[in-house]
Amino acid sequence: MMLMPPFTLHHPTSVDAACELAAELIAAGEAFDWVSGGTDLLPNYKWHINPKPHVISLAKIGGTTTISGTEMGCMVRLADITEENGAHPVVVQAASKVASSLIRTNATLGGNLCLDTRCFWYNQGEDWRRSIDWCHKADCGTGADCRVIPNQNTLCVATYQGDIAPTLMVLGASVHLIGPNGARTLPIESFYQLDGMKKNVLEEGEFLLKVTLPEDAAMRTGSYQKLRVRDSWDFPEAGVAASWVAGDPSSLRIATTALESIPRTHPEQVEEVLKPGWEGVDSVKVLSTAVQKSVKPVNNTALPPRYRRSMVRVLTKRALQGMLE
Amino acid sequence: MSGGYRQQPGGAGKTIRKDGKRVAGKQAFPPPGSGGSKPEMAPRDLDFIPEMVGGKEAQPAGAHIHDRARTGTTVGKPTALVDSNAKVTGQAWYGDDVRLSNEVIGKILRSPHHYAKIKSIDTSKVEALPGVLAVATGADSPHQFGVLPVTKDEHAMAVEKVRHVGDLVACVAAVDEATAMAALNLFEVEYEVLEPVFDPKKGLEDTDEPIHWRGKYHLARTNVQKRVFQEFGDRSLVEKPLASSHGKWNMAGVHHGFTEPHAVVAHWDPNGRLQLYTPQQVPHYTHRALATVLDVPMHQINVIRTFVGGGFGGKSDPFPHEMCAAILSRKSGRPVRITFDREEVYWINRGRHPSHIEVKMTADEEARISGFDIDALIDGGGFASFGHVTSYYNGVLATAPYELGSFHYTGARVWTNKPASGAMRGHGAVNTRCAVEVGLDEMSEQLKVDPIDLRLANLLPPHSRTISGFRITSNGMREALEKVREGSDWDNKFRQMPLGKGIGIGCGFFISGSGLPIHWDPNRFPHATVHIQVDMDGGVTVHTGAADIGQGSTTAVAQVVAEVLALPLEMIHVRSHESDTSPVDLGSYSSRVTFMNANAAIRAALEIREQLLKAAWDVLGYHPNNLVLNDRRIYYKHDPAIGISYLKALHKAQEDKGALIASGAYRSPPMGGVHKGAAAGLAPAYSFSAYVAEVDVDVETGLVKCTNVWAAHDCGKALNPLAVKGQIIGSCHMGLGQVLSEKMVYGRTGHLQNPNLLEYKIPSVHEMPHVEPIIIESCDPEGPFGAKEAGEGPLLPILPAVVNAVYDAIGIRLRDLPLTPDVVFKGIEKGMKAAGVVDPLDLESPRVEHGDLQPILVKRAAEHKKRDRSRQRSEDTSPYVNGVLFGFDPNLPLEDQVEGWRMATEPDPEQLAALGLAGKAWLKKEQRHMGGDE
Repeated sequence: MMLMPPFTLHHPTSVDAACELAAELIAAGEAFDWVSGGTDLLPNYKWHINPKPHVISLAKIGGTTTISGTEMGCMVRLADITEENGAHPVVVQAASKVASSLIRTNATLGGNLCLDTRCFWYNQGEDWRRSIDWCHKADCGTGADCRVIPNQNTLCVATYQGDIAPTLMVLGASVHLIGPNGARTLPIESFYQLDGMKKNVLEEGEFLLKVTLPEDAAMRTGSYQKLRVRDSWDFPEAGVAASWVAGDPSSLRIATTALESIPRTHPEQVEEVLKPGWEGVDSVKVLSTAVQKSVKPVNNTALPPRYRRSMVRVLTKRALQGMLE
Repeated sequence: MSGGYRQQPGGAGKTIRKDGKRVAGKQAFPPPGSGGSKPEMAPRDLDFIPEMVGGKEAQPAGAHIHDRARTGTTVGKPTALVDSNAKVTGQAWYGDDVRLSNEVIGKILRSPHHYAKIKSIDTSKVEALPGVLAVATGADSPHQFGVLPVTKDEHAMAVEKVRHVGDLVACVAAVDEATAMAALNLFEVEYEVLEPVFDPKKGLEDTDEPIHWRGKYHLARTNVQKRVFQEFGDRSLVEKPLASSHGKWNMAGVHHGFTEPHAVVAHWDPNGRLQLYTPQQVPHYTHRALATVLDVPMHQINVIRTFVGGGFGGKSDPFPHEMCAAILSRKSGRPVRITFDREEVYWINRGRHPSHIEVKMTADEEARISGFDIDALIDGGGFASFGHVTSYYNGVLATAPYELGSFHYTGARVWTNKPASGAMRGHGAVNTRCAVEVGLDEMSEQLKVDPIDLRLANLLPPHSRTISGFRITSNGMREALEKVREGSDWDNKFRQMPLGKGIGIGCGFFISGSGLPIHWDPNRFPHATVHIQVDMDGGVTVHTGAADIGQGSTTAVAQVVAEVLALPLEMIHVRSHESDTSPVDLGSYSSRVTFMNANAAIRAALEIREQLLKAAWDVLGYHPNNLVLNDRRIYYKHDPAIGISYLKALHKAQEDKGALIASGAYRSPPMGGVHKGAAAGLAPAYSFSAYVAEVDVDVETGLVKCTNVWAAHDCGKALNPLAVKGQIIGSCHMGLGQVLSEKMVYGRTGHLQNPNLLEYKIPSVHEMPHVEPIIIESCDPEGPFGAKEAGEGPLLPILPAVVNAVYDAIGIRLRDLPLTPDVVFKGIEKGMKAAGVVDPLDLESPRVEHGDLQPILVKRAAEHKKRDRSRQRSEDTSPYVNGVLFGFDPNLPLEDQVEGWRMATEPDPEQLAALGLAGKAWLKKEQRHMGGDE
C-alpha cells in the first residue's frame, strides 16, 4: 500500500506566524514543505518522493483567497477561478483545463504555480526508483545520475507541467513572495529558474503569497492551447499561451509550458516577426515555426519529444487564431 | 388469464380457535403468504413467453429446447443485478474489506533486477525487528504452480532466479504496515545479475541462460515457451490473387485496469484449515494451487471469493501473493492481509500480450477469401500463465466468421524479462482480429467493392463447420452487419466524408465457453454443477461456484432459476462465495459462465419443478402436462381457478423428506477435430458481432476522437438485456483504450515506465463516444434459453472499426497500436510526403467507385441470406463445411476431393525458409531431438 510517511502538520493562521514558524524550523535544522491544496505534494509523499518531517499548511492563513481581475491569492482554488469570479478569461481558460474537476476543487493557484517538475523516471514508487538505482532528482543520498540525460548528475531536466503560469506570463503578472527575510515582488517570468530541482527562486522559508496583474491586463485578450491525450486528468504535454491587445499586434506575448523545466516567454521570436511589420497569416506561420524551434523538450513525459516539439507550431498557430479574426 | 389469486391464504381454518386466538403450535407456516410485498399473483407475461408455447414472444430463429421452461418471469427483461444494492450502498465486501480479528499485514519484497540469480537471502535483521511475526522466502515453498497444468512455472516466491523487476523474492508479516515496510529494507539479498531479454524477437534466439528450462521439451536454448503451426485448406488458391493485403502490426501490451487492486486475507482456523479470502475469477484453480504449494489436501482449504472489483482476465490466475499470505499466516498463527498498490498490480500484470502480428490475405476473382496467413509473435513476459492457449487463439479464433479457401498460422510465445502477460477480455483473439478486419478493408478497396458487402458475401452460415473444424451453431453475423449498416447510415457516409471525418467497420467472433475443461476429461466430469435447495420457507438457495466478477453471473443464475420456477427474483438466493459450500466450477474465463453454469442451473431447477408439479398433481388430480406454473401458483391449464399456491405444493412435495434438493450439471457435446491443438478455440457456441465506428481526426495534431459507435452483438438470447448492453458499452470503452491510448510502455532500460493510472491512459468519460448497443438474438440451440456470451466478444470489433475509420478519415493505414497522436501524426507526415503536400489540411481522403464485382457480391449476399435463414431455423439441415463456397461437396472428406488439401500441425521441411517471424521458432529443435544429454 501507499502509506503516507509520517510528518508534523502545522497550521499557522497568519502570514507572520507562518514566517516565524518557518524561521524556527530553519534555525532548528528541520526540513519542511509548504502545502496548500496538497494535490501535488501528497501523492509525491505517498510515493516517498523527498518527504519532509514537517509540512506547513497555508490553508488557515486569512486573506489568501482573494480573487479578481488584478489579484489572486495563493489559496484560491482552481475551481473558483473557473467559476465566474472575475479572473482574467485567459487564466480561466487554462485553469479549466487542469487535471479533473475533482482535483480542481482542491488544487490551488499557488500550488499550480509552484508545481513540482515531473519526469517518468522520478514520479514513481520507491521500489520502482530503487530498481533504476534512483535518479539525480531523488537520489536518496547516492549521487545518482540523471536518467534522461545520462552520465551527469548536475542538471535535472524534469519538466514543468503547470497550465496556468504561461497565461500569467503573457498577461504580465507579478508574483509576491514572503518569508522570514521579508517580502518581495517580481515579474512571474523571473520566478522560474532553470533546473528541474531548483524550479524557482523561492528561498528556504519563502512562499508565494499572491499574484497580481497590471490594470491593463484587462485590455488583453488571448488563448491557451493544451496538448494532451485525454481531455481529463492529463498534465499538458505541451502548452502555448498568447495574449495581445485587440488591434495592436505589437502587444503580442507568447509563453510556453510543459516543454522544458520551466515555463517561459518568447520575446525574441515575437520581436523578430514584428520587425518587418505584422502580416497576418504569414506572420503567424513564421512565428509558430520560430517558437517551435526555440523549445527543446526531452523524453520524460507520455509523448515523445519530437512530436511534442512539432505540436508547438500547431498550438501556437491555434493560440494566435484570434488575432486573425 | 387474469390475476387476482392470493398467494398462500394464510392461517385460515383449523389453526384459529372460536375465540379468534391462534392454536398454540399450530400456526400456519409461514404467515401470511409467500409473496412478500406482492400478495397477489401477477398475470402471465405473454410478451416474454415464446410463440411456440402459446406466448407472444417472436422467435425468428425458431424454437428452443428450453421453450417449455419459460414462464415469462424474468428472462428477456432488463433486470438490475441482484448484488447491485450491496455495491451502490458500499456494503459489498471486496478483498481489502475483509477484516479478521488479530490480523497482521503482509508485505512482499520484490526484485530490483530484470533478471538475476539469487545467491543468498539473509533474513536475520528482518526477524530481529520488533513487530515482525513471520518471514518467508522461496525456500518455504519449493512446489511449482500455474493456471494451466501443462505449464506450471511459478513459485510463491523466487526459488532460484528472479525473472522481472517486481518478481517476488520474500515476504514478511508484521503488526502493522509501517513495520512491515520498514522490515522490507532489512532483507539482505545477494544477486548475480544476468543478461535480460526484452525484445520478443531476441527471445527466439539461443541464449546462455533461458528464462525457464523445460528439460527435454525445451526448444534448443531459446526463450520460446510455445510454438504453433496450423495449415488447412487448398494452398494453391492463394497463388493467383485478385486482391491481397499484407500488414505488419506492432501492438503494445495492455492491462485490464480493473478498479480493485489485488488483495488477499489468509487465516488458518482453530481446526487447522486454511480460510483464504480473495477476489478471484477462478477460485477453484486457486484452491488446487494452494493445495499443491502448501502441501495440504484440498479439503483442508476453504477458498472464499470476495466481491470482485473487476477482473477482465486479470484475476484469473492463482497468484503468488495468495500463497505468500497463506505461508505467512501459517508461520505467524495470525490472519495475514496483503493488499497491492497499483504498481504491484502492474507487476503481476497478466494483461494482453505485446504482439508482432503479420497478416497476409488474398481474395480470388470472385472476391472469395482464398487465403489467410497469420504470423503472431507474442511477448509472454516472465511466466507462462495462460500463454499456451493464447498462442493458439491468436490464429484459430480468426478462422470465422468468413469462409476461407485456406488458412495458415504460425505462432510463438516467448518469455522475456517483463511482467507476465496472460488472459485479458477477448483473450488472444483481439489483436489478430484487428489485423484481419483491416486487411479485409484494404482488399475491398482493391476489389472496388463495399467492405460490408465483401463480408456479407463471404460469411459462414449457421450450423456449419470452420476450416479448422470448429462447430458453429447459431450465427447472427449477417443480421449484425445489416443492423449496423442501417443504423449508421453507412451507405451515405463511407468514403464520402470530408478530410478528418471517417467511418469504419469491424467484425468479431468469440468462443462462448472453452470446450475443454482444462483439469479433467470432459467425458468424465461436467464443466459446471449447480445445486438447488428449497426448504419450508419457500426461498430457493442456489449453490454455485460461478465467480461473479461484476459481469452479472449471479444474476444470470438467479434469473434462470426464477424463470423455471416462476418465482420472483428476490426468492432466489445465490450462494457462490465459498468452496466449502459451492460445487466445483471452473470459474469466470473464456466467457463460459452464462452458457455452462446457467445451463446447469436450469437442469437443477427443472428437477425441482418436476417435484413441485408432481405434488400439485397429487393435490389437484391433473397431470403435470396440464398444469401451468405462474408466479407462486400452480393451476389447471383449462381452468385457472383450480390450483394451489407454490408454498402448498412445496409443502406437499416436502412431506416425508424435508427440503427439496436437486443437482444439475452441464457437459459440452463431443465436437471438434483430432489434430494437435484441435481443442484450442473449440466452444459449444460462438458469439458474433459487427461494429461501425465514426471518428474525428485532427489532421494537424493526430488526435483521434471516436464520436459514434453502432455496436451489434449476437448473444443468442439476452437473458438480461440491461446487462448485455452494459457489456457492449463497457467493451467499447475497454477496446477504445487499447486502440487509442492505453499501452504498457517499456523504456530503453526495459522498465515499465507507466505503472500507474495517470500515465497508463484509460479513456476518460470525455473520450467515450455515443454507443448504440444493438442486441442480435440468434437463439443458440444449446445455450440456456438460447443465450451465448456477451462479456468478451463485444470488445473485438471496436479496434478494427476505429482503425478502418481513421483510414477513411485521412487515407493512411496505420498498424501500430495504440493510435496515440504521435503515431497518427507520424503517419500523416508520411502521407504528406507521399502526396507532396506541406499542409496536412491539403491531404485528400480516400474515395471509392464500385467496380464490376460489387453487384456480383450483392447478389451472392442476397442468396446467402436466404440460405442462412433457412439454416438458422433448421429448415435446411444439410451439412455445411467451410469450402462449399469454393465448390466443394460437404458430404465428402475435403482431402479426397481437392488435390493438395492440407491439414498440418507441423511445417514441411521445404516450408521452413518462408515462415514468418514467429514461424522461425520452427527452425529450432527440442532438446530431446537434438541428441544432447538432456
